[in-house]
Amino acid sequence: MNTSYLRKLLLGTLLGGLSVLPAYAAEPVRLGLIEPFSGPIASIGLETLDNFNFAVEAVNKRGGVLGGRMIEMVPLDNAMNAEKSTQQVKKAIDMGIRVVVQGVGSSNAINIIEYVNKHNKRNPDQTVLYLNHAAVTTEFTNELCSFWHFRFDANVDMKVAALATQMGRDPKVKNVYLINQNYAFGKSTQEASNKYLAERAKHIKIVGDDLIVPFGKVQDFTPYVAKIKGANADTVLTGNWGPDIIRLVKAVASAGLNVQFYTLYGGLPTTVNAVGTEDGMAVHMKQVTEQLVEDDDRKDLQPYFESYLDKFKRTWYSDRIRFTVEMFAKAIDKAGKEDPEAIARALEGMTFPGPHGQTMVMRPDDHQIQLPMVISEMSRDVPKRFIYEGKDLGIGWKTMNWVSREDLTLPTTCKMERP
Amino acid sequence: MAGCVGLSAALCQEGVSVVQVLLFSLFNGLLYGMLLFMLSSGLTLIFSMMGVLNFAHASFFMLGAYFAYEISRLIGFWPALFFAPLGAAVIGAVIERYGLRTVHKFGHVAELLFTFGLAFVIEELVQMIWGKTNKPYLIPSSMDFTLFTWQGLDYSAYRVFMLLTSVGIFVALYWLLTRTRVGLIIQAALSHPQMVGALGHNVPRIFMYTFGFGCGLAAIGGVLGGNVLGTEPAMAIQLGPIVFVVIVIGGLGSLGGALIASIFIGILTNAAVSYDVPFGPFFALFGVSSATDIGNDLVRMTSGSVSSVLPYLIMVLMLILRPRGLFGNRDV
Repeated sequence: MNTSYLRKLLLGTLLGGLSVLPAYAAEPVRLGLIEPFSGPIASIGLETLDNFNFAVEAVNKRGGVLGGRMIEMVPLDNAMNAEKSTQQVKKAIDMGIRVVVQGVGSSNAINIIEYVNKHNKRNPDQTVLYLNHAAVTTEFTNELCSFWHFRFDANVDMKVAALATQMGRDPKVKNVYLINQNYAFGKSTQEASNKYLAERAKHIKIVGDDLIVPFGKVQDFTPYVAKIKGANADTVLTGNWGPDIIRLVKAVASAGLNVQFYTLYGGLPTTVNAVGTEDGMAVHMKQVTEQLVEDDDRKDLQPYFESYLDKFKRTWYSDRIRFTVEMFAKAIDKAGKEDPEAIARALEGMTFPGPHGQTMVMRPDDHQIQLPMVISEMSRDVPKRFIYEGKDLGIGWKTMNWVSREDLTLPTTCKMERP
Repeated sequence: MAGCVGLSAALCQEGVSVVQVLLFSLFNGLLYGMLLFMLSSGLTLIFSMMGVLNFAHASFFMLGAYFAYEISRLIGFWPALFFAPLGAAVIGAVIERYGLRTVHKFGHVAELLFTFGLAFVIEELVQMIWGKTNKPYLIPSSMDFTLFTWQGLDYSAYRVFMLLTSVGIFVALYWLLTRTRVGLIIQAALSHPQMVGALGHNVPRIFMYTFGFGCGLAAIGGVLGGNVLGTEPAMAIQLGPIVFVVIVIGGLGSLGGALIASIFIGILTNAAVSYDVPFGPFFALFGVSSATDIGNDLVRMTSGSVSSVLPYLIMVLMLILRPRGLFGNRDV
């Protein structure tokens, strides 16, 4: 609530008559961001909030939405707890917020989807929209699909399919070892890996397929390293994240194994920083993202990238939060009002410029964004080096190749119920 | 393939003999087990001397790792190996003097709750000071070279150094407690505090030193293990439970028991992954197969997929069958 707002309000009142109108025009469009802002992985939630605020700022600088209304992020802490996520949706609704945003943790996402569905059925005049920027369980846009849920991130199947496509292009990849975490996400990664390697990388043999006890329970990865060695694997494909990938990479590097790592989340900034330059390079770390801003085709985004680096002293990780906000802004303007159903209809089928000259599409059938993906490799010879907490790690990401939107458009089993 | 019963298919294809896998599991289990011992030795020492079950023990392990990270950035790894445990020991001693000693008169439950709360306080403090993400605490480059290669895996000088250090700690502790005057006074202070006090020794001070010393031992584990396991605020919570398993299996208060149990757990978790015995045939006895509706997940499980849970199973069995553990002289 700054002084210019107060002045406007005062001026409006003095002018009388239509005094309500200018006050209304300045009222922000609020998005409730439900993420862990406390507890062991609060850092991820806080980084997400930074990224959203940064993306929202860009929209607001251009004049906001609906002819002058600003977008405002309202952080709501779920402490990485599924039950608290539901409570925070309720709180958002009580605060009059009509759009909630979440991405960290599919277990939280499922609760939000279920609660929003139930609430909207009971309160058709007071509906809520859910924008999902990172919860990747494929089922959310298959059997669990909902009219009120939109996913702006590739799902597990799409990410694995992109990695498998790239592995299929590389004749040097012959024997692949799969390691995943033994819970919903890890198992669907395992399943998708088996499926898409068989379809898209026919020359590849899967020589190992392990599920580990997840979330840092495994302290000593040496026996797994021995199995990778014994299986004669040249490549590891893993969906592991957090300590489960940091320790695995460190153990493989310290045993001097010559394998390369294809990962879903090995490129998360905190992971890159913890693994360190030497070990990351030793396993030829690869990642899959929506795009690489360093690439020539994304020159338009480089000012955004630079000002992000200036402000937060760390390299921008991925584009999905930016285009979640941008597509929402476009949709609410198209709808012409802050009404979840109208915004949802505007989002269906919406296109947005993506990398490599392709457009991204929000598929109306299941509300899963369709987009091309980029596979990149850690390298010392890069145009833009990776910065974390102001420190230059001497490495960065280099695009190996990309997979087109058409190649990643996978069938859906969604039977959408529309209001 | 006859010799491959129970052996992981991948290892078998390579023609690796069962004996080789066994030797491999034994050696790697020893490496990991000795790290566990470094942690649990301090815990079991504090318990045997003071009767305090220190829930915050792994937090001092974490402090050791964070201190070592800071010190090694400034003046190198070797000073860190000395000063980080010293720092943790001083903090431990201060906590004993101004916290635990006050709580002591309310009995063991109060002490337990005190250390339980302490673990959360330390974790929160660590998050406030160092943030919530991993710190890049790395193995010192002076020891980051391959000492030898066995079965295709390199072993760095650092891992061997860890092993030797923990063996050294065991020998030194054993000697200190059983062969020196200090050890005798410490032991006497536990069973006959009044008598020791009457002889002119300051019993509360002995307890304070013991607690600080135990915390310092945990911190040595942190200095040596933090760069292998990763230095982050969750490291204490991840390692805390397994340390308790070690001292329960070994016998509360028994140093030798902690050593045996550490190595046993190290070898067990290693072998469970290396041999990777499938559970399918076992569940098939009960008519469960991948085709049945209920339990078809069980059939696909192997010993490797539950390796890190096995120690807890053993602890539960141990508490039922022999509550005092392998070498303990009192029940839990």
